[in-house]
Amino acid sequence: MTRSATPRRKSVLPVLLVLAAGGVAPFLITGGFQLRLIMLIWIYAILSMGFNLLYGFTGQISLGQQAFFAIGAYVFALLQTKAAWSALPAFAASIAFCSAVALLLGIPLLRLRTHYLAMATLAFGLIFYGVAIRWIEFTGGSSGLAVPPLTYGGTPIDRLQIYFVILACAGCVLLLHDFIIRSHVGRALQAIRDDETAASALGVNVTKYKLRIFVLAAAIAAVAGVCFSIVSLRVDPSLSEFRILVSILTIAVVGGLGTRFGPIVGSIIVIVLPQILVSFGELETLIYGAFILIFLLFLPNGIAGLIETMRWRKRDNAAVRAKAEA
Amino acid sequence: MSSATAHDTDDRVILRTQAAVRRFGGLVAVGDVSFELLRGQATGLIGPNGAGKSTMFDLVTGMRPLSSGEIYFRGKRVTTAPAHTRSPMGMARTFQIVRLFQGLTVLENVLLGFHPQFADGVIKSLWAGRSAIALEKQSRERAMEMLEFVGLAHRAGDAIGHLTLGQLRLVDIARALSSSPVLLMMDEPAAGLNDAETDNLAQMLVRLKKDGLTMLVVEHDIDFIMSACDKIVVMDRGIKIADGPPDVVRADENVIAAYIGRRATDAAH
Repeated sequence: MTRSATPRRKSVLPVLLVLAAGGVAPFLITGGFQLRLIMLIWIYAILSMGFNLLYGFTGQISLGQQAFFAIGAYVFALLQTKAAWSALPAFAASIAFCSAVALLLGIPLLRLRTHYLAMATLAFGLIFYGVAIRWIEFTGGSSGLAVPPLTYGGTPIDRLQIYFVILACAGCVLLLHDFIIRSHVGRALQAIRDDETAASALGVNVTKYKLRIFVLAAAIAAVAGVCFSIVSLRVDPSLSEFRILVSILTIAVVGGLGTRFGPIVGSIIVIVLPQILVSFGELETLIYGAFILIFLLFLPNGIAGLIETMRWRKRDNAAVRAKAEA
Repeated sequence: MSSATAHDTDDRVILRTQAAVRRFGGLVAVGDVSFELLRGQATGLIGPNGAGKSTMFDLVTGMRPLSSGEIYFRGKRVTTAPAHTRSPMGMARTFQIVRLFQGLTVLENVLLGFHPQFADGVIKSLWAGRSAIALEKQSRERAMEMLEFVGLAHRAGDAIGHLTLGQLRLVDIARALSSSPVLLMMDEPAAGLNDAETDNLAQMLVRLKKDGLTMLVVEHDIDFIMSACDKIVVMDRGIKIADGPPDVVRADENVIAAYIGRRATDAAH
């Protein structure tokens, strides 16, 4: 009997290659603007990996991830400016705070499914945006708060060092994302996505896993928010704006939901494509929209999904050939 | 919590329902049904359409709560045990409408059966380190054995969408078996299968029974159930009307009336 059909037992190698590429990228580019773009790619990739685990793998939609993104950034900024915390504990507290909010929110909300869950999380996002913009004495209103630059040994670190801080955060999230996907936890999450009843019949505690992944996605969004505020040195309500959510969804569609590298592939396209399209002037939005539409129609599983199905097909063909030879 | 009776200490009784009742509003779908599943026996649960056997099955598997009554599994009260706690106890089930995980491969579906053995959650799994890797490897080997048992080892890497209905049923059984159950409950396993597939399934049940597995089979196909089961529980209109060996049940007047009588009224329409 041939074991050629033994399914994907994924290696960690591609992840390390991606991180290595991230490590050399700043030395291959020319300007500070390009470095900023790469940092944005990583930040959106982090945010989207949380969404990918939650929606792509577990099937629980959240349209409130941009709020966790903003809360993470605000907590990081507020603790440093108002409570004089240093960056590292503020970072930890920001993750903890977002997790706690997600836990409290998730307990009632995760009883909901599909579009009801989408509506409820969207409402949370809108409420947060309203609070951030109106509670001026605390959040600074629409002008937001300044974030002190990261320092090392008393002096602010330079842009390249900031880049490696972002890369380190992205690397940790990527490795965690990958560990979950490749382990039995990822299998259980996918089981929940595909059929909750069958998953519970096999001993998967559906409620608990859904809550855990909701909290994790919020914590990952907090990491992205902190990274964003480190880069932009400013936190304002635009972090929880609708366009952030649209970017997350676009990355999911273009990169591929429930795929291993969809968030990264999607982020690269969503950040880089508008820069290229700028030369089209007013047609930019139109072309961008058409591009998304084409993806929805012809590549519903995104680019990363396309690559995965191609692998399936290859293996299927190999299996057919093996059978023909036998 | 009601105390266990002398009955429950009898370790031949794997599962016992005691006056199980399930109402949907004013409708009594299951009314006062008690039966026992004995160790190493295959028990069939049959009845005409609307007899309440599917509801009864849902009560036993924990998919629906009881309105009243009790269910004991190996002497332990499981009446209100959540569905996900039953697999680790040794209760496994298959589904009538195949409910495999579409996004997973055949092997990965079967691997889900091992889920309760793994560390619970991400942090504990990271902590488990090498032992988790060993468990994964061991589970894969066991899962391949399960697929070999149902004759589908060669499809291990396939997508679920590429399988026939008969093959899907077998994957469902392999998945249920991978949790090393004491009791396997099957909801109409022969529905939609052709004769060859049904025969294959019946032979498989015989082999499982030889290995000491206790089974509960809900089924429409009377011939299948008569040949595969040691004991048959017959339900009609929500109540149990017969309970005994196939020969006895086949000759039971109530059973004949339930089936033939129903058919006669159907013909009158």
